[in-house]
Amino acid sequence: MGNRAQTAPDPVVQVRDLVVCYGEREILKGIDLEIRRGEVMVVMGGSGSGKSTFLRTLLGLKAPSHGQVEVLGHNIHTADRRTRLALRRQMGVAFQGGALLSSLSVGENVRLPLRAHTRLDENTMRIMTRLKLELVNLAGFEDMMPAELSGGMVKRAAFARAVVMDPKLLFFDEPSAGLDPVTSAELDELILRLRDAMKTTIVVVTHELESAFKIADRISVLGEGRVLMTGSVEAVRNSDDERIQNLLNRRPRDAVLDGDAYLRRLTGTDA
Amino acid sequence: MTRLLYRIGDVTLHTLDQAGRMALMLARSMVAILRPPYDPFSIVRQIHFIGVRSLLVIVVSGLFTGMVLALQFYNTLDRFGSMDMLGSTTALALIRELGPVMAALMVVARAGSAMCAEIGIMRTSEQIDALECMGIDPHRFLIAPKIIAGVLSVPILTSIFDVVGIIGGYLVGVVIFGLSEGAYFDSMAAGVEWNDVAMGLYKSLLFGLVITWIATAKGYFLHLERGGAFGAEGVSRVTTDAVVLSAIAILFGDYLIGAVML
Amino acid sequence: MEFEIRNEGDYTVIAPRGEIDFHSSPRLRRQILDVLGRGRDLLIDMAAVSFVDSSAIASLVEGLQQAKEKGRRFGLAGLQEAPRQVLHLTRLDTVFPIRARIDDWLEA
Repeated sequence: MGNRAQTAPDPVVQVRDLVVCYGEREILKGIDLEIRRGEVMVVMGGSGSGKSTFLRTLLGLKAPSHGQVEVLGHNIHTADRRTRLALRRQMGVAFQGGALLSSLSVGENVRLPLRAHTRLDENTMRIMTRLKLELVNLAGFEDMMPAELSGGMVKRAAFARAVVMDPKLLFFDEPSAGLDPVTSAELDELILRLRDAMKTTIVVVTHELESAFKIADRISVLGEGRVLMTGSVEAVRNSDDERIQNLLNRRPRDAVLDGDAYLRRLTGTDA
Repeated sequence: MTRLLYRIGDVTLHTLDQAGRMALMLARSMVAILRPPYDPFSIVRQIHFIGVRSLLVIVVSGLFTGMVLALQFYNTLDRFGSMDMLGSTTALALIRELGPVMAALMVVARAGSAMCAEIGIMRTSEQIDALECMGIDPHRFLIAPKIIAGVLSVPILTSIFDVVGIIGGYLVGVVIFGLSEGAYFDSMAAGVEWNDVAMGLYKSLLFGLVITWIATAKGYFLHLERGGAFGAEGVSRVTTDAVVLSAIAILFGDYLIGAVML
Repeated sequence: MEFEIRNEGDYTVIAPRGEIDFHSSPRLRRQILDVLGRGRDLLIDMAAVSFVDSSAIASLVEGLQQAKEKGRRFGLAGLQEAPRQVLHLTRLDTVFPIRARIDDWLEA
């Protein structure tokens, strides 16, 4: 008899030939990716790599112009309302800036999904809320408003809200951005503990190499709208792909300059 | 020349696009309003925000509007020797036209702009995305309580505006110019009919809906604004847009209902 | 989730089976509060529980608190791996009196 999370289909997320555009600009140019049950998958990429767009598409917030995203066995973009709602209940999302509702206290924010989707007793919800706040070291901050918290605390509260329904699938947008090293390390630790204790499948989108290497079971590197490679931490570290090495060594892009093109960019009048 | 045509087409398409989105949002919010469960707490909170906290502005502007009206009417009526009409003309102007319009404009300035900025900030800070990811319908959770509160509050604020305005007229006509109190109120009772009150009521109901709709929709679709709106600059831009658009809609709606009902 | 209840000396033993999630935890909670309300010492036999979510944990926490208030004993026994990990994650394994088998409680 196993943990219930194991009844989730495998792969938990299946992305096929995903193309996403903003207006006429193609941001993602055909992405294939599998996220396996119970793994921590880190989607890594520099700015402009399309990783934020990729996350929004995985979450069903942005519709693809081609290809599909299957989450827990259902196409998240074409599923009917009921199915999509059922999917959402099994997904937790911690946004980069926390995205706590500013009109509600920290506790009410964490409780929000419980209120919306369960008929649990008020006492049960309160204890669950406090359990999750304990998990992120925010015990006692229940009645404060988001505006009274520091950026790092908002982020941790958002983490608590993301896991309050014990999701099978958890998404993190830049978990360590804007955090001090200690808090950031704590969050990394927590991600691993959640994976081990709850068998949660976790998708982390980040540009932070250090934390990525620490928590990832597998890494998928995005560059200019494509998957450059997907593999273990070792495989990514040892890749001889120049663009990946550039990212790892924080070398700027476009090291080799095309003189004519540069001149055209500087002097051209046609945008 | 082709550039101009291209631009005209672009703007037209974008405007239609936006109008369609806003209509869809209104429809979804209406569905949410018609289908229980309701969250009375958040509706009350919105009524407090739109209604109660607009009271002072409404009372002050109502008082001065009534006083100015009586002042102008007194001068005009004085020339024709029909000063005893002051009560009814002031009351009719307030109840039929100025009450609904002025009260609505005040609510736009005080609450509409704030609502738009609030929702706009929720959009830019991903709060609306977070709601969607939690499987909570933003139309039900955010928009519907505001629309309900707007439709309930604006008529009440309008009637308060009317009453205070009539008192303002009384101050000018009776207290300052020495018109008899009986004449002021008798002509009002004789001159104002249910039809006039109904017209004011319909207007204020419509304005309540339009104000909250435009304010929330402008904030809600901030990310789809032409040329892309972003961050603080985007919020301030859509808020200004919402106020201007609401003001135009109120004046246009006022004319429209006037023309239909006369 | 199913559960059976039996009395063993001073203790009432609740033995749930299967998965306890937010659909089923309210039933367990009512049962726990009911037994404690009757002034009995309570043991939860977790041997047949394969999964618990946070709402189940919260119900157990509330039970423990009620028992302490009323001066009754409250214990868990026979935790499987998955529920034990969940308790460990929230550091509640240090808070609940836990024994390996239900008999360890009854014989003590």
